[in-house]
Amino acid sequence: MTAAVAAKRQPTFAQRLWGDRWVYLFMLPTVLLVATYTLWPMLASIWFSLLDWSGFEQSGSFIGLGNYAELLHNRLFWNAFANTLIFMVVAVPIRVGLALFLALVLNAGLPFSRAFRTAIFLPVVTTAAILGVVMRFVLDPASGPLNEALLGLHLIDQPINFLGRAGLALYSAIGVWVWKWTGITVIYWTAALQTIPADLYDAARIDGADRWQRFVHVTLPLLTPFTIIITLITVVEATNVFDLMLTLTNGGPFYSSEVIDIFVYRNAFAANVPRLGYASAAALFFGVCVMVLAALQMAIVARMRRRTVEQ
Amino acid sequence: MNNPMDRGAVSRRTVLAGMAAAAAAGTLPGRSLAQDAPTLQWWDHFQPIAPLFEEEWKTDTAVTVKHQVMNPSDMMQSLQLAFRSQQMPDVFSVPAPLAVVDQVAGAGWFGPPEGGFTLDKPFQKEALFEGLTNFGGKVYSFPLFTFRWHSTSLWYDKAKVERAGIDPAKGPQGWDDIRKVAKSATTGGAYGLLLPLQFTDRMQAHLNDLAQMAGAAGPIDWKTGKYDYASEHYVETLKMLLSLQKDGTLHPASSSMDARQGRIRWAAGEAAMFFDGPWNSGVMAGGMKDALAKTWVTPTPITSDNGHVHAGPLPGTFWISAQSKLNKQATELLNLFTTDEFYIKLAERMDQPPLSLDAVAQANVDPTYKAVIASYKDSVRLAPEPVIRNPDIGKVYAEMRTIDPSLGAIIQGAFSGAFDDPGPVLQQYSDQMSAERDRAIGVINSKGGKVSVDDWVFDNWSPDKDFTPDLYKR
Amino acid sequence: MTPIAPSRQGRRLWTWLSVLLLTVLCLVWIYPFLWLVSASLKGPLEIFSKGLNLIPDALLWDNYARAWAAAGFSTYMLNTVVITCATVVLVVFHTSLTGYVLGRYDFIGRKVVIAILVATFIIPAGFAIIPIVDLTRALGLLNSRWGIVLALAGSGNAAAILLYAGFFGQLPRELAEAATVDGAGFFTIFFRIMLPLAGPVTATVSVLTFLAAWNSFLVPLVLTFGAPSQRTLAVGMLAFVGTNETDWPGMAAAATLSLVPVVAFFFIVQRFFVEGVAGAIKA
Repeated sequence: MTAAVAAKRQPTFAQRLWGDRWVYLFMLPTVLLVATYTLWPMLASIWFSLLDWSGFEQSGSFIGLGNYAELLHNRLFWNAFANTLIFMVVAVPIRVGLALFLALVLNAGLPFSRAFRTAIFLPVVTTAAILGVVMRFVLDPASGPLNEALLGLHLIDQPINFLGRAGLALYSAIGVWVWKWTGITVIYWTAALQTIPADLYDAARIDGADRWQRFVHVTLPLLTPFTIIITLITVVEATNVFDLMLTLTNGGPFYSSEVIDIFVYRNAFAANVPRLGYASAAALFFGVCVMVLAALQMAIVARMRRRTVEQ
Repeated sequence: MNNPMDRGAVSRRTVLAGMAAAAAAGTLPGRSLAQDAPTLQWWDHFQPIAPLFEEEWKTDTAVTVKHQVMNPSDMMQSLQLAFRSQQMPDVFSVPAPLAVVDQVAGAGWFGPPEGGFTLDKPFQKEALFEGLTNFGGKVYSFPLFTFRWHSTSLWYDKAKVERAGIDPAKGPQGWDDIRKVAKSATTGGAYGLLLPLQFTDRMQAHLNDLAQMAGAAGPIDWKTGKYDYASEHYVETLKMLLSLQKDGTLHPASSSMDARQGRIRWAAGEAAMFFDGPWNSGVMAGGMKDALAKTWVTPTPITSDNGHVHAGPLPGTFWISAQSKLNKQATELLNLFTTDEFYIKLAERMDQPPLSLDAVAQANVDPTYKAVIASYKDSVRLAPEPVIRNPDIGKVYAEMRTIDPSLGAIIQGAFSGAFDDPGPVLQQYSDQMSAERDRAIGVINSKGGKVSVDDWVFDNWSPDKDFTPDLYKR
Repeated sequence: MTPIAPSRQGRRLWTWLSVLLLTVLCLVWIYPFLWLVSASLKGPLEIFSKGLNLIPDALLWDNYARAWAAAGFSTYMLNTVVITCATVVLVVFHTSLTGYVLGRYDFIGRKVVIAILVATFIIPAGFAIIPIVDLTRALGLLNSRWGIVLALAGSGNAAAILLYAGFFGQLPRELAEAATVDGAGFFTIFFRIMLPLAGPVTATVSVLTFLAAWNSFLVPLVLTFGAPSQRTLAVGMLAFVGTNETDWPGMAAAATLSLVPVVAFFFIVQRFFVEGVAGAIKA
């Protein structure tokens, strides 16, 4: 595969390193950046999570697994953990499903499809922090347009406090998140749909399959590997909703929409006495959970891929 | 926590920070660059009074001040990082409770002023306390503001109060009046009362103030040294606030509003009443003159025979950094803030009242501001502060961790329907605070400190009198 | 009537019904943007009193002037543009270099590098923010735009590297060999021949990095606590909401201002956006 391999005589280890010096030089920027901004912070997080560190001091004092012990007994941590999971379990299928539906409709050759796609993509390119602020007005119970519209259509007779009711705020946030990000998932699906050869549909049509049958028997099976990748991407994105949540609800009311990111931020930056060690432990614990989840999904993807190839 | 801590938390948010102004300032070239005048870095979180400070500094030509007005909520983070990287501003405020002040004092953040401050008037000397402004017997700082204030006066639309059959010159007195006005004002898209529920620190202050007006001892009952959050007055006050929500007279968007958003929507006529501190006059005089003309205020909305708001002495407002090389110049700048003329100008900003309340009487201010400040003489009493008697308590404060949910979050929770009966939740909060205090005391004592729960007990405290410095000596 | 005619007519009716429904859906979808633009031209009290009505009483352009000048949004805009562009350039530079060698050469440590990259792919963003702040402080880059650029460019680029590696890996060997014969060095081959060939991948990477950098929030937020003048639009927006007591129209104007460039940019490079994003999913 490389110049080095092509050489007749087996070169020594050092010779190979020297021979590939350009290669290492090319990788240097990435290695430096990834080492300082990805790997070192990961290792440092592990170390920080073992410290009692108020942030006002130059450094913390080692307390072993004390932060973790405290974390496991903190109801608010588990509350945030659960909220993040609920967010994922509810929001991901809605976003992936809604996007697939829209992609299918927009892929059907309707007039103005491009304009529609653009409109749906608009929230994707706008900053989440700004959308959070704007949506607070749109969802306002006293004079917000959404409530005005629902009242005007006589769908409700009392304004709904979307962001102010403890049981509702998280779901309102999910709605806003789905609205913001569906556009990009539509693009993913559109790309996936375009990989399906048109003659497959023609063949199915000749066999007398109707629209629905063609969808179930042709489109869906071919989309399976994409479904998994798109779901994986969406799941990882669903764990990173900090900016939207901070501006939309700031985790409230009464922690009912506090996700892990907000919990970490609150303890590390927004508290009167910042607890860097404790916040690191929370971030690390949750990070490991997400990685395990993602690794599981990737393993499934790999298996599915293999199976598709075997077919 | 004790009173000064709550109040610290309140004042730092009230005296809003000016990110926008600061950002603009940051991009402008420093003014009147005298060639050899050194540049002094000054960070604080007092946006509404920043122009006054900058005006005063112009009189001192020995130094150029680079003023950065910061957001209180992330200012501590900036200071923290600046300290660890040796980039502290020469002068800064600490927008945090007394516990944090004591903690950072212990970490070596503060330097003593070279040459000292000019604090020769009796009311200025009386405001200095070990552990609050002094450390190791040396004066490090002084408060710019008086302890004698609270943030819970009832501001209202005169016409709507009159329509409910209440004298608009006196205003609603007590919960019955408040509910009556609220009911009569709830009509055609407008509501009775608006609460800034999103701003949990402010809600905590409102509950503390209202419960004490009704007769509660305060967050801590200094007779027994125990936390008082689960007492009848606290539970009752919270239930009274909740009753407005049940009546349907509470502005429904309250849950998503902080004080600033709440104020503008109240002033726009969406609600008849709004709890706020004296600075409301200043803010309204700035941008809502029309609304201010229609507004009057009940300085002490809940009246009872023995109700007083108990406020502890305040920690210093500005601190000189231990890392500063311009200590002398910083001291001179701070001395500009100790004159009678300055107090009057400070009063005229109509923000948190100045250390000298007499200055308010001489100042040219809105009548609402005068009325509110004047009422404090009757309604606010100086509370004891345990750290003055036992400096080790500063370490206990520093060791104590925040209890989540906080009192403010509990109030928010009660309104959001997270639980039905606030009584047990307040009891739990009270218990958690006691347990955390006990734990912190244990930690400090194990490190050689000498603290006991009895340090929070002041036998000679009486709720209707100021706890003056001489009373500590007994 | 023949049975075919109604069916064709029915299909056409169906099509236009779908278009109508989609139009309504899209109007609802972008309503918040319409609301924002309308609010940016209203008076301070008008925002709350008009309900669904989008037409302001009078067009108050003054709101824009205020947001732009007084609230410092011109500075925020400049910061955001600088940070975003620098991040895109840096990311394209370092990921293409690494992707190139990973895709075309077998060298000692290649498998390790790939394994680490794949592992970083699934690390949740914002997970190690505390050490990143500490690191930036130690580098003396706190409150500077470069600190933000490095932090943004230094994490979460595994996908870009793997995209480049996949692309360069499938280019025919003869390309480089011919050039080598002509006496071109390692660098020349890469910058003159390989990188220009990788145009579509560069478009994909640029688009995705642009989106991520323009919208990034946590990193610029925590790295500019001490320096309001270094804030980005997203962070400045939060500060604006938290600070100015009454100026909702100013806020809306500021938000509109910060959306205009990115929406305009999106319209101009729409094709690249769609293809870029799609390219990422297909690969």
